[in-house]
Formats: sequence, C-alpha cells, structure tokens
Amino acid sequence: MENDYVIEMLHITKEFPGIKANDDITLQLRRGEIHALLGENGAGKSTLMSVLFGLYQPDGGVIKKEGKEVRIKDPNDATALGIGMVHQHFKLIDVFTVLDNIILGAETTKLGFLQKKDAKKQVLALSEKYGLKVDVNAKIEDITVGMQQKVEILKMLYRKNEILIFDEPTAVLTPQEIDELMDVMRGLAREGKSILFITHKLNEIMAVADRVTVLRKGKFIGTVNTADVTKEELSTMMVGRPVQLEVEKTPAKPGKTVMKVENLCVPSRLYKHDAVKNVSFDVHAGEILCISGIDGNGQTELINGLTGLDRISGGKITLCGREITHASIRKKSDAGLAHIPEDRHKHGLVLGERLEENMVLQRFKEKRFQRCGFIKFDEVRKYADDLIERFDVRSGQGAVTTARSMSGGNQQKAIIARELDREKPLLIAVQPTRGLDVGAIENIHARLVAERDKGRAILLVSLELEEVMSLSDRILVMYEGEIVGELDPKQTTVEEMGLYMSGAKRDGKEETHHGKA
Amino acid sequence: MAKHNAVSPLLQKSTRPSFLKREGTRTVIASLVSIAIGMALGSVIIVLVAALNDSITMKSAWEGVRLVFFGIFSTGRNALGGLTFGFNAVSIGDMLFRATPLILTGLSVAVAFKTGLFNIGAPGQFLMGTAATLYVALSIPSEKVPAALIWLLAFLAGAVAGALWGSIPGLLKSLLNINEVIACIMTNWIAANLVTWFFDAHNELKNAAESGKIGYVCKTSSNGVVTSKLFLDKIFPGSQVNGGILIAILIAVLVYIFMTKTTFGFELKTVGSNRYAAKYAGINDKRDIVISMAIAGALAGCAAALYYLSGNTEFYWSTYQTLPAVGFNGIPVALLAANNPLAVIFSGVFMSMLNISGLQIKNLTTYNEYLTDIIIAIIVYLSAFSLMIRMLISGQLKLFHKKQKTPPQAASPPDPADEESGKEASA
Repeated sequence: MENDYVIEMLHITKEFPGIKANDDITLQLRRGEIHALLGENGAGKSTLMSVLFGLYQPDGGVIKKEGKEVRIKDPNDATALGIGMVHQHFKLIDVFTVLDNIILGAETTKLGFLQKKDAKKQVLALSEKYGLKVDVNAKIEDITVGMQQKVEILKMLYRKNEILIFDEPTAVLTPQEIDELMDVMRGLAREGKSILFITHKLNEIMAVADRVTVLRKGKFIGTVNTADVTKEELSTMMVGRPVQLEVEKTPAKPGKTVMKVENLCVPSRLYKHDAVKNVSFDVHAGEILCISGIDGNGQTELINGLTGLDRISGGKITLCGREITHASIRKKSDAGLAHIPEDRHKHGLVLGERLEENMVLQRFKEKRFQRCGFIKFDEVRKYADDLIERFDVRSGQGAVTTARSMSGGNQQKAIIARELDREKPLLIAVQPTRGLDVGAIENIHARLVAERDKGRAILLVSLELEEVMSLSDRILVMYEGEIVGELDPKQTTVEEMGLYMSGAKRDGKEETHHGKA
Repeated sequence: MAKHNAVSPLLQKSTRPSFLKREGTRTVIASLVSIAIGMALGSVIIVLVAALNDSITMKSAWEGVRLVFFGIFSTGRNALGGLTFGFNAVSIGDMLFRATPLILTGLSVAVAFKTGLFNIGAPGQFLMGTAATLYVALSIPSEKVPAALIWLLAFLAGAVAGALWGSIPGLLKSLLNINEVIACIMTNWIAANLVTWFFDAHNELKNAAESGKIGYVCKTSSNGVVTSKLFLDKIFPGSQVNGGILIAILIAVLVYIFMTKTTFGFELKTVGSNRYAAKYAGINDKRDIVISMAIAGALAGCAAALYYLSGNTEFYWSTYQTLPAVGFNGIPVALLAANNPLAVIFSGVFMSMLNISGLQIKNLTTYNEYLTDIIIAIIVYLSAFSLMIRMLISGQLKLFHKKQKTPPQAASPPDPADEESGKEASA
C-alpha cells in the first residue's frame, strides 16, 4: 500500500518567459489520502494544477496515472482520468436546481430525453453515502455557500471522479462549516478517494491532511507527513524564513471618536431591500475596529456607503465632527478618510496606467502636482519614487511600471502606500491582505498596527478569522446587513464568533435563530 | 533620461525599456505591418479579379497593384501607354485636403475611446456641424461683416453644434446608463433628418444660380467666406488644398497636449481605463463622460466646418437617407493610430491617400469604381487589425501555437488574479 500512487507528477518543469513557474516539482498522491499542497501566492500551485488539468503542457517531467505514463492535453483528458476539482469560486448556475447543476454536462439520457429520475436516485444515494445532505430540488441562489460547496463535491462524485482537488475550499465558510467540510473530506478519503487540498492555512492542514507538499517560488521544497511537523516548521518551509505568525501589538489606547455612524441604511444593488440595516457604531482614534462576517452579509455595501461609492438610504455619518452623510466621494475623502478598497483591480488601481499615476490618483489636482491644469510630471515622479522607497514597493521599472505588470502583493503595497501617505485620521481597510503571501501579510499587519499606535482610527473589514482575532481591538459581527454582536477579541473564541456569523447567536437575543436554511 | 539621472539618484530606478520593447514603438510597427498586409491583400484581390474576368488583362492587374502602393505618385500615362510616376502636386494637395476632415473625425473617435466611449456618432455630429457652419457662413452678409470674422464664427458654430450633439449620448450614458453606441446611432439618423428638414425650409441657402446643382447648398465662397490657402497652393498648385490641414494638425497637437499633459486629460484617461477606480478616487466620472463626448462632438463639428469652409465643396442637403462616410471613417483612422492624437495625423493622411489611389485606379485602369471601393475597404479593414498585430508582436497572442497561456508580464510572478483566472479556465 505504501507506494499505491493514483497520480504522480514527476519532475514537472514549466517555464514562462522570464520565470520558472514550476521547477522540477514532484507530487505523488496516494490512494485514499488527503494530501495538502501548500505554498504562497506565486509559489506555483496554480501552474502545477493547470498542468494536471491539461491547461498547460509541462516543459519537462511526466505525469503517471496508477504507474502508467499519461499525457493530459486538455481538461477533457483530465476528466477522463477521473480528476475533478472544486474551484474557489463555484461553477454553478444560480437559477438551476441542485440536481440540474449536478447532472449538467453528464446527463443520463434515453433516446435523447433526460432521465432525471434515475439521476436523482443516484445523487441521493451519493449524498447519503458521503453525508452530503442537500436539498436536490432547491435552486442554487436560495442555498448557503456551504451547501453550494457540497453541490460541487457531489458534482465530482456523480462523475465518478477518483481524484478530488479542493482549491482553497474554506475561504468562504464559517468555522462550523469548515469543521463539517473536514469531516466530509475524511469520509471521502476513507471510501478510497484521493484528495488534493490546496491551501495556505496551516491549521487546516494540521487538522485534516495526511501529508503535505510544500512549494516555494516555483521550487519543490519537500513532502512531509503532517504528523512529523509543527505549524511553525511548515510556515518556515513555505516562506523560507521563520515567520511571526502572531501579530505583535500592545493594548489599544482608544482616543476620541473619529467617525460616528448612526442608523445607517444602504440599499442593495440587486434587490429591493436594504443590504445594510440600521447600523450604528463609533470608530475611535488609536483602535482597530474590525467588521467581521461571512462574505455577502452587507460588509461591502456598508463600506461603499461610508466611502460614497454607493448611495445611502438612511442614517447619518459624522467624520471628525463634520456630517458627511451624503457628501461626494471626494468630499468624504477630503474630510479625513483614506480607503484601501476591497477589490484592488476594480477600485484600487488603474491597471493600464503607470505606477506613478496611480500614486497620485486622488491628489493630482493638488497644487503640488499641477500648475494651471498642467500636471507636473517631475513632481509626480519624485513623489512616487519616494513612496516606492519608503514602502518597499517592488516593480520591474520603478515609477513607470504599468500597474498591471506588478505582482498582487506589490500592487497592494502601492495602494497602502498611497492611502497611508494621505495621512487621514480614518483609514478604512477592506481585506487588505487578501490573496497575499505570508511575508506581505506580516508587513501589512505591522503597518496597520503602527498606524494605530500613531493615533489613527482604523476600520478593518476582513473575512479571515485569524486576521480578525489577531489584529483587531474590537470586533463587530455583521449578519444579513445588521450588526449582531460586539466582541472583544481577547475574550471571545473563533467558535463563538462563528455562531454570530451564521446568525445562530446575537447580542440581546440569546435564543438560536436560523436565518437561512 | 539623461536629465532625470542628473536630478536625483533616486530617479535612476525608473528605467525605460529598450527602444524595440517600448509600447509606442510596437504600436507604430503594428500599424505599419497591418497597412502592409492590407495593401498586399488588396493587390491579391486585384490580381484575382483579373484572373476571373476576361475583360481585365494581367497587364492591367499589374498596373492596379502598382497604383495600390504608389497611386499617390501617379502622374498618368506616357506616350507609350505605360504608367508614369513622380511628384504629383495635385494628388498630394488633394490628399491633404481630404485628410483634413478625416484627421478631425479620427480625433473625435480617439478622444472618446480614451475615455472608454465608442463614438460612432461622428457622422451625426459632422452633419450638425455642417448645418451650423453653412448657416452662419452663408447668412451673415459679408458686405457688412469681415469675411475672416464670419469664417471664425462659422467655424465655432460648427464646433459648438457638434459638441451639443455629441453631449446628448454622453448625457444619456451618464444619467441613464444608456449604451452610447445605441444612442449615437439614433442621434446620427435624427441629425440626418433634422439637417434635411432645416435646409428644406431655408431656400435662401440653396444653390439656385447654377442649373444642375439642385439639392445643393451654396458654397461658402458665394458669400466670400473661404479658408485661407496659407501659401499651400504655391506648393501644390492646382489642388484643392487649403490652410485647413494646418489647422487640423494644430488641433491634433493641442488634443495630444490636453490628453497627456493636463489634469483634465488625466482624469478623462483614468475614467476611460477604469471607471470604478476613477470614481473611487473622487473623480466625477459622470460629468467627465459628458464632457468627453462633447469634446468628441466638437472635433467632428470642426471636421465639417473645415471641410465646407474650404469654399470648394458643396453640401447635398437631402441627407436623410445617407450618413457622411467621413464620420464613420474616423473609426479606422483612430484605430490605426491606436488612439494617439499625433498618430491620427498620419493615419488620416494615409486614409485619404488610399482614396486618391482609388481614384487613380479608377481613372487609369479598367477597374471600375465599385471594385476600387472594395479594395480600399479591404485595406481599411485590415488596417484596423493593428491591435491584434501589436499583441502578436508583444507575445500576448499566439495564433499558431498549442493551447498555452503566457503570463502578461514576464518579469514578475503571476499575480493572484491571473492565477485565479487560470484556475477558472480549468473548469
């Protein structure tokens, strides 16, 4: 059994112009094991999986299925070999039922007619066998994200896939749902399925994986048994140096109120109801206030309302003593608000423009950067070079680099440099570390804490529970557009926060309350 | 660059790529390549037509091919019946004359493109500009007002009319989120009918003096209002050229400075590249969309003004069934120039050169004007492929390779968004 490999990727090398995305990487997946693939962004995990899926052809190395060499030319070949994948962003059709989504593309037919009854029987049998309870007649848009993930898993099982790849599956789940997923994964492995689990979360690897393969900067670092290593050792393997996993910070010294939000309501863009309902809170100087919650519970709309990107349907916002409820984006920003946006490609940067132009995105009209309507490009250059130096933003050609060609971490660093340097009393940071590697996260966390200690008020929105727990001084949990609880990170646990996030618990009402089925 | 190095050691970090790798160089090469491909394909068509058509000999096909490439230098035929080439002042002068409105409509489309808008409404804006220009130029009596002042007023009227007409799709887009392409097409036909209706009701503007000119509006020269030749007629005697081409070039340079050097140009460009980021940064994107369309409309209006103020063109006022081609031709002009205002000068001249070459083919060979039009259309069409050629040059597009994707930029590791799209593609 020791060498019963279902899939072997041996000495895979894949080169793109100027970069070796995969350099002699070997990954051997045993039958019935949960194998984690660990690495930072840009480590080559995605390239490796794309090779396995036939999207890229490797420049060197071979892929073996059960000892026999195979060539995977396109995704159809991969499917034929029994390889299935749950993507980070689900590939489901919202208005179709669960059953329709599962059978889509692999329909049982008789004389060209769909045999939905047979299909339903099969799906129900599978869901029974693996403990994946779903309502097959419900529409995808009506079920929770955790349920949708189960549908994705059933999709793979329905296609009789033997090799299941989970790509960052826990990013969208509550702590309770994560536990449930782990159980399902263990069950699948027991039934002989082989699982490849892509992640950068060490806790989950320790909890569920048998072995882990670590990649760093395209290179194979090693495959180890999880039983033989500690979290710290794994993170050192991943990053290449010892990493500070905990955020170092002193207790906050909250000062005066910087922003006061009273009964704020923000309409939803898609539906008629409000996405943010009667939300009230204060942010104080010198504290990091975190808005926590599962994605899609009104956090985005709340921030859009505060910053002016969305219109507000009710309530009042006071910033530094000035009412700015319905002020324009520029007026709000001038009144003392800096904003690290959630989507750095959509809002944060103009990808087609140069880094220096992005650095003055809000400021190009200031006297310093223009004379009589003409931009002083030498001043812009000087300013950008200064920011690049101080914030260690790395790019191919310095200030004239096109923003698009920078790595995600450096793009984020550029935005953070720009927003921090505007020196506004309030900093709104929405998922400032999303998609970044451990080194960059460390750096950004340290900067945020430093800004807090300088007396700036920081409103943080994050979906990463670890980040919420380690960085914030106060936590507000949002559920279905309302703030359902205020927690002290020193006294609460991830599990308790999870109850608030799923709507099972709320301040003032202790009885269990299920929002969505 | 040398200057930067002298200013501060910090600035040395900002290095520019080598000449061949620069965006601008690649754009120019791509445009030239696509022109060459277009002309080559045009030649192939000429030969094909001759091969399939008994009445056209291969000799005349060869003449046609030479005219596709060098028609602008054609000086007719010699005593032996062979084609002669040389400096043809009339052709070149006419080319510059015809390039004038093309440069301006090209600028109109390019400015809108830079703001992320597709101005397919240039024909309508051109028509409104035409009507305003002609009305002002013909109805102010030149006995009382100096012709130069009338000229200026007529020119401004054309620009303003175009701007107002262009701002309508802009307003619809920014206030009601109506796609500007649809609004532009609608306003084109509204303009065509409005202008016809306007001249239908103004008999005093129609050319009644010359028989055979029924349906035409008087030339502005009938009121003594004519664009100065600015000595260009000395260089290109016998041609229609006038100072308009210099004005068009000047406007192109001004537009270039406006788009690249001013805060407002930066704003427009930012709205065009990423409207969400512009909004996030506090830029009034809705206002900018209206202004951008107004500027685009003004440029198309200027095109009309310069064309009809030349004094040697007449306007056939019953336009309700046709839109002026010069408006639509602004689109390939802008595409070929990759929306660079300075490059528009050259692509505009190139387009009008094709026009002259077409005339020469029609006049000197057995190919009729329809065939000539098809050949010109093919060249124009392929010229618009410059974007694809540019992607081929910079390696972003591989036509004849196996299914492989290259990260957009080689030097840096692929960023997470690209990784994500890679994963998604594996579905």
